Amino acid sequence: MNRQCCPRITGLMILVFAASLGAAAQPRFEHSLSAAGGMYAASGLGTNFYYGARYNYYVLGGRYFFEAALCTGSLQSTVLSSVSKAQLFASERLTTYEFGFAVDANPAGAVPFLIFGVAGVNQGGETSFAGVIGFGKRVPLPGLFGVNGIGVRFDARDHIFSQRLNNSDPFIVHNLGATFGLQVYF
Amino acid sequence: MSLSSKSLYRAIALAAALSAGITGLRAQATDIKPPAKVAQPPLVDFGEGVTFEISPHTGLMGSSGTFGLKMLMNYSSLSLEIAGEQVIGRTANLYPISLNAILNLSTRGRLLPYGSVGAGLFLTVPTNALGAETVSTLGINFGGGARYYITRSFGIRLEGKQYITSVSSDRDLKDELLFFQEVSLGVTFLFR
Repeated sequence: MNRQCCPRITGLMILVFAASLGAAAQPRFEHSLSAAGGMYAASGLGTNFYYGARYNYYVLGGRYFFEAALCTGSLQSTVLSSVSKAQLFASERLTTYEFGFAVDANPAGAVPFLIFGVAGVNQGGETSFAGVIGFGKRVPLPGLFGVNGIGVRFDARDHIFSQRLNNSDPFIVHNLGATFGLQVYF
Repeated sequence: MSLSSKSLYRAIALAAALSAGITGLRAQATDIKPPAKVAQPPLVDFGEGVTFEISPHTGLMGSSGTFGLKMLMNYSSLSLEIAGEQVIGRTANLYPISLNAILNLSTRGRLLPYGSVGAGLFLTVPTNALGAETVSTLGINFGGGARYYITRSFGIRLEGKQYITSVSSDRDLKDELLFFQEVSLGVTFLFR
């Protein structure tokens, strides 16, 4: 699954950056909501579809913004379920909620924004407090469908936290997520 | 020759008339007043009427990470707040839900410090202990913080709090006081 996803994600990133080069300057908005879908690789637990919503509040002309995000996915793992027959959590539900601060030095250009924050990563009912680093690119598409408040965005995040499975010693994991979505500014 | 002499005389006469006219002019004595300074209204003024706030935040309680949401109603120097949060522990999550009274030490400007006191419920929910049940206790909290407004409707909020709750032990049949300190950082949205 990873091998199939990587070229697609890379292609998607190239598309977004190419689109950003041609994107016109957008009127300044204070808020945005976006719905996005993508892949989430839970360290050692498989890679699955992942989707959610993000809210942004922009300050100083969009060069900085605050973000709150709620996403959900699955922890389904072919290796764990078919080969080792192990069940590590009470369920396979994955929920993440993030709170971050982003620096978008060049909102109208091709340079991606950087985001730093914290997240709650709930894996099958067990929540971990995670640090978040990531990047992304939002591409406003003014004039699309006759309105100025629509755009697309790409996001990549690394959720870093200490995990303990079946009374193991705690170890640091990096859960990686990448999403692509539609954004509405208001 | 005589024509150019006439022209010369006319030019001299015109120059003399002009200079005489100029010397007759006096500088106009008008006082130019600098523009009056217009008093700018404060960025935020809780005295204007009741305002509402929503403050999502994150922080640390001990060594555990927290996420929470606070909703406030501001009545000038007094604010009422309802707060709920999740404290992510290793074996259990704590959910303090509290009702707080806030005394705003300043009600106008960008930086509004405050003190806070409140009481509420502490729900301790085990995450991975088999057979363990949710424990609820009553507790109080007090602390202080500050809101710094970047715009008229958006700001940053920093807060420190002390939580105190009493837990009864079934083994010792005694009540034990527990103390938690929390530091939180968040944003705040102000609605008028």
